Amino acid sequence: MKKRELRRADFITSVLLLAFSAWILIETFKMPAKDTYGGVQNVWYVSPALFPLIISIFIIILGTVLLVHSIQSDGASYFFSSILKRTKFASEKNIRFLSILLALFSFIYLNIPRIDFFISTALFLIFFISAFYFDEINLLKKLTLFYFIGSLIFIILFAFGISKILNSYYKYFIDILALVFYISYVIYNWIKVKNNHIYKKRLIVSLMASLAVPLILCPIFRYSFLIPLPKEGLIIQMMHNIYYFLKRVI
Amino acid sequence: MFIFGPLFIFFQQIFILITNPINILILFGAVLLGIIFGAMPGLTATLGIALLATLTYGMDIGTSMVALLAMYVGAIYGGSYGSILINIPGTAAAAATALDGYPLACQGKAGKALGLTTTASAIGTFIGMLFLITITPFISAFALKFTSFEFFLLAFFGIIISGNLGSTDLAYKGWIAGFLGLFLASVGRDQLQFYPRFTFGLDELDGGLEVVPVLIGAFGIPQIIQVLKDKVTCGEAKRFQRILPEFTEIIHHFPLIIRSALIGVGIGAIPGIGEDIAAWTAYAAAKNSSKHPERFGKGEIAGVISAETANNACIGGAIIPLLSLGIPGSPPAAMLLGALMLHGIQPGPMLNFDHPLFIFQCGAILLLASFAMWITGMLLCKQVIKVLRIPTPVFMPIVAVLCVIGSYSLGLEIFNLYLMVPIGILAYFLTEMEYPIAPLVIGVILGPMADANLRRALMVSKGSFLPIITRPVSLILVLVIILTVVSQTKWYKNLIRRISEKLFSKKKTKEISSNAFKK
Repeated sequence: MKKRELRRADFITSVLLLAFSAWILIETFKMPAKDTYGGVQNVWYVSPALFPLIISIFIIILGTVLLVHSIQSDGASYFFSSILKRTKFASEKNIRFLSILLALFSFIYLNIPRIDFFISTALFLIFFISAFYFDEINLLKKLTLFYFIGSLIFIILFAFGISKILNSYYKYFIDILALVFYISYVIYNWIKVKNNHIYKKRLIVSLMASLAVPLILCPIFRYSFLIPLPKEGLIIQMMHNIYYFLKRVI
Repeated sequence: MFIFGPLFIFFQQIFILITNPINILILFGAVLLGIIFGAMPGLTATLGIALLATLTYGMDIGTSMVALLAMYVGAIYGGSYGSILINIPGTAAAAATALDGYPLACQGKAGKALGLTTTASAIGTFIGMLFLITITPFISAFALKFTSFEFFLLAFFGIIISGNLGSTDLAYKGWIAGFLGLFLASVGRDQLQFYPRFTFGLDELDGGLEVVPVLIGAFGIPQIIQVLKDKVTCGEAKRFQRILPEFTEIIHHFPLIIRSALIGVGIGAIPGIGEDIAAWTAYAAAKNSSKHPERFGKGEIAGVISAETANNACIGGAIIPLLSLGIPGSPPAAMLLGALMLHGIQPGPMLNFDHPLFIFQCGAILLLASFAMWITGMLLCKQVIKVLRIPTPVFMPIVAVLCVIGSYSLGLEIFNLYLMVPIGILAYFLTEMEYPIAPLVIGVILGPMADANLRRALMVSKGSFLPIITRPVSLILVLVIILTVVSQTKWYKNLIRRISEKLFSKKKTKEISSNAFKK
C-alpha cells in the first residue's frame, strides 16, 4: 500500500477502532462490577469487567493517537476527497479478492455443513484452482459468475427448506445435485477453454487435483486418525462400504 | 558434578530418541516436509507447524515434539532455497538471504551458496540448542519468584515489545494488534467467575476461542489471499551441479557464525520477535563489521552465512521464553505453545517440576533435527527444489483445504471454521495496512494469563496497585514497558538526537583542541 493510501486506511481504521472500543466499553458496563453474581459479592478488582475495561481504554487511546496521526498526515482529507471521486471498483485485484472470498465462504459456510465432505472439497478445489490457474481475468470473471449462480441456487435450496423435502425422497439428493453442479462446472469450463491447448492442460490438472486431494485426505482422516468428517454423505458412505468390504475380505 | 548430571540426562534423551526407528522416521519426514514448506513461497514455518499440530494431536507428546520441532527447523532452513534459486524468499526469515544468495546463484555459485546455508543453518540450530538447554532452567528457576503481578506485566511486555519491533509502519499499530488479540482472548466465560463475556448468547463461544483455529486463520488465510490476489509466481530456478559443503569457508567465517548465532538467540529470546528480524539484524551486523561492506548485496558469502545462521539460531532462542515463562519468542513458537497446550502441557516456571526432562528432550530433538536437516539438505536438495515448479494457484487452494480440515479436526467443531475465516480476513486487512500479526497472536495466547493474573494479584493486594512499584521485578518490568513506549515518541527521539549531537560535537571540539595543542 502506498503511504497516502495507508494514511487514508489509518483514518478509517482509527474511526472503526474508536467505535469498536466504545462498544466494548458499553458491553463492559453491563458486566457485574460491584453487585452479586452467582451468589458471590463482587468487588471491582475481581470483576470480569476489569480486563475488557483496560483493553477498551488502551484501544481508545491508541485509536485516538492513530486518528490524530492520520489527520496530520492528510489521511482524512485524502479519504474525504476520494469519496467524492469515482474510483474504479472492478479492478483485477478486487475481482480476484472477491473470487477468493466466494470460494472460501461457499466452502465453509454453505457446503461443509450440508454437503458430503468429499464433494464439497472437490467443488471448492475445482473452482479455486481452475479460476486462478488460467490467469486470465475474463475467464476468472465468467467462472466466478457461474460458480456464484450455482452457489446461489444451493442457498435458495437450503434457506427455504427445499433441500429437506428433496432429501426426504432420497437421502443423498442434495449430494447428487452438488455432483451435478461439479460436472456442469467442468463442462462449462471445458467449453470456455477448448480452443486453447495450454488452458485445456491446466483444466485437466485442476480436475485431477480436485479429485486427488479429497481422495487422499478423506481416508487418512477418517480411517487413520479416526476423525468423523463434517458431513458424511454419498461419497463418504461409498467409501465406508468399500473400506469395510475390503476389511472383511482381507 | 553439577554439569555431569544434566549432561547425562541430555545424552540419555538423545539415545532414547535415536533408538526408536519411528522417531527417526518422523524426524526425517518432518524435516523434509518443513524444507518443502519453507521453500515454497507463500507457505510459512508457522503455518506448517499449525497444520502438523493438528495431525500430531493423537500422538504422545514426545513423538509430536519430534515432528513439530523438526518441521520448525526444516522450514526456517528451507526458506533459503527460494531466496537463492528464484530470488523469492520462501519465508520472511530468508528475505535477508536473498540479497546475496541470488547474486551468488546468478554467478553460477548456487550449489556453493546452498552448501554454505545448509551448514550455517545446522550450526545456528546447534548453538541455539546449547543456549536452550543451559539457560532455560535458570530462567525457570528465577521465574518461580514471580507473582501474579509479574506474570501480568510479562504478558503486557510481550505485546508491547513485539508490537514495537514487529511493526514496519507505526509502532503503535503493533500495540493495537496486540490489544485486539487480548480482546479476542477475553471472549468466553472468564476464568474466575465464569461470567460470559462477548459471547452473544452463543454456547460455542462459552469456552472462548480455540487457539489453534485462530492461529491457522491468522496465518493461513491472509497468506492464501495475498498469494492468489497478488499473483505470486515462482520464476525459473537457477541450475546447479552439486552442493559443496565449503568447510574451509565455514572455518574462515567461524567468528561471524558465532556472532550471528548469538544475535539470533538473543533476538529469538525477545517475545514475539521472529526469525526474520534476527536474520536482518545479523546481516546488518555482518555488513557493518565487514572490511568490504560494498560487496554486500552483490553476492557476498558473509551475507548469506550471517542471515542463515541467525534465523536458525533464533529457533532455540524463541523456545527459551516459551518453556521458561510460557511466552513464545516467535510466531512459530506461538504455534508450538498452542500444540503443547493441546497435549495438556503448560509451559512456564512449573514445567521443570511437572515434566523435568522436557527441556532436555527439546534440546535433544533440536540437535537431531539439525543433523537431519543437514543430511536431508545435502542429499535431497535437487529433488526438493522441484516443488518450486508447482504453480501457486494449484497448491494454495490445497493449503486452504488443509487449513480447514486441520482446524476442524481439533475439536470436531464446524464452529471453529466459522471463526477461522473472519479472523483470517481481519488478519489479511491488518497485514495490508501494515499491522504485524505476531502481537495479535501473542495477545490471543497470553490474554487468559494476563487477565487471571491481574485479578489474582489485585485480590491478594486487596485492590492496591502498589506492589507493582514495591516489588523489584515488577518495577523493572514497568520501567522497561514505559521506556519501550516512550522510545517511540517524537520527544524522546529528539532528545536522544540532541544528546548524541552534543556528545559528538563535544568529542569533535576536544579532538580539534587536542590537535591544536599538539601542534
